[in-house]
Amino acid sequence: MSKSPTSAFILKGVIIIILATAAGILSARFFLQRTVVQDELAATRFPVSREIQAFELVDHHNQVFDNAALEKRWSFLFFGYTYCPDVCPTTLSVLNSIAQRLQDVDADIRFVMVTVDPERDTPERLAEFVTYFNGDFLGVTGTDQGLEQLTRQLGILYERVQPEPGSEAYLMDHTAAVFLFDPDGRYHAVFSPPLSVEAIAGDFRKMLQDYQ
Amino acid sequence: MIQINRRMPAATALLLLSFLSTAMAGSAVDVESPWIREAPPASTVLAAYMVLKNTGDKGRTITGIDSPDFRDGQIHRTVVEDGVAKMLPVEQLTVPAGGSVVLEPGGLHVMLFDPKRPLRDGDSVTLLIHDSDGDSVTVHAPVVRKTGGHDHSHHH
Repeated sequence: MSKSPTSAFILKGVIIIILATAAGILSARFFLQRTVVQDELAATRFPVSREIQAFELVDHHNQVFDNAALEKRWSFLFFGYTYCPDVCPTTLSVLNSIAQRLQDVDADIRFVMVTVDPERDTPERLAEFVTYFNGDFLGVTGTDQGLEQLTRQLGILYERVQPEPGSEAYLMDHTAAVFLFDPDGRYHAVFSPPLSVEAIAGDFRKMLQDYQ
Repeated sequence: MIQINRRMPAATALLLLSFLSTAMAGSAVDVESPWIREAPPASTVLAAYMVLKNTGDKGRTITGIDSPDFRDGQIHRTVVEDGVAKMLPVEQLTVPAGGSVVLEPGGLHVMLFDPKRPLRDGDSVTLLIHDSDGDSVTVHAPVVRKTGGHDHSHHH
């Protein structure tokens, strides 16, 4: 039952065809995936941006920050607190990098940190914190009720963590995502961590194009 | 003279002990690229980052990192669970033999409470890294301004 030269030749041919087909499928998948990825957004964008129910907070200039304050410009909102040493400074740095990167964009864009710790974060304290990163950044605080009015609609969670005995400074757990509002004052998209400067800036340009 | 002679063994022992502790400290972890994030003016909590390297042949356990320039220091890990950022206290940090542990923004970090003096970009802060053998390594970490803009760089 030794193989004839012909069957060996056919076998070789079959192997080559299988390999070529596999290579074709793999490379096609590779290129298709690339196309899809390039078209996708890192953000979660709503098919129709969401209306925001009435809320009232106060910004670091002691001005009312409510639904009207979200209109006529794009707003990136982040929810944090000033006694936060790692996540909040890192996120504000990322937002500042995004601001630098979007300087050429023909749109009014504002970056806002809303505190989830209104008990300690006064407008004065927030002003010092957010403007350290960028003079145009806005800090927002308010009453617990005002904060709930906004955060409940966005599905934002925050909770005070009891400090260890002997330490008076408490920490907060808080939603780390960045929320985008469009010039209609509607909830347009959300960026979940890990936050990438490139992805968020790129997504914003795309969303701005689609919006106009 | 007799008095001095009597004290000799004690002095020798002390000398030996100090040599020993130096040798032990040398076998502790190496600290690379330590830095402290400059905080906004009102802030009383800062974060320190670094790479802990263990070139030895046995694992080392870090039991704490603090600083004489701060009231308190705690090792924390930032985790994001279901979109919620939390800081979890880390009691012990194991640096495996021949391995390293990275403390970086958004992950492991040393939370430093209440600076005893104003700390600005370019200042140097003393950090003490304590291990389970009772040894401590002292490092000097620069305070670095990092705001995502055109910050100064202190990388040498």
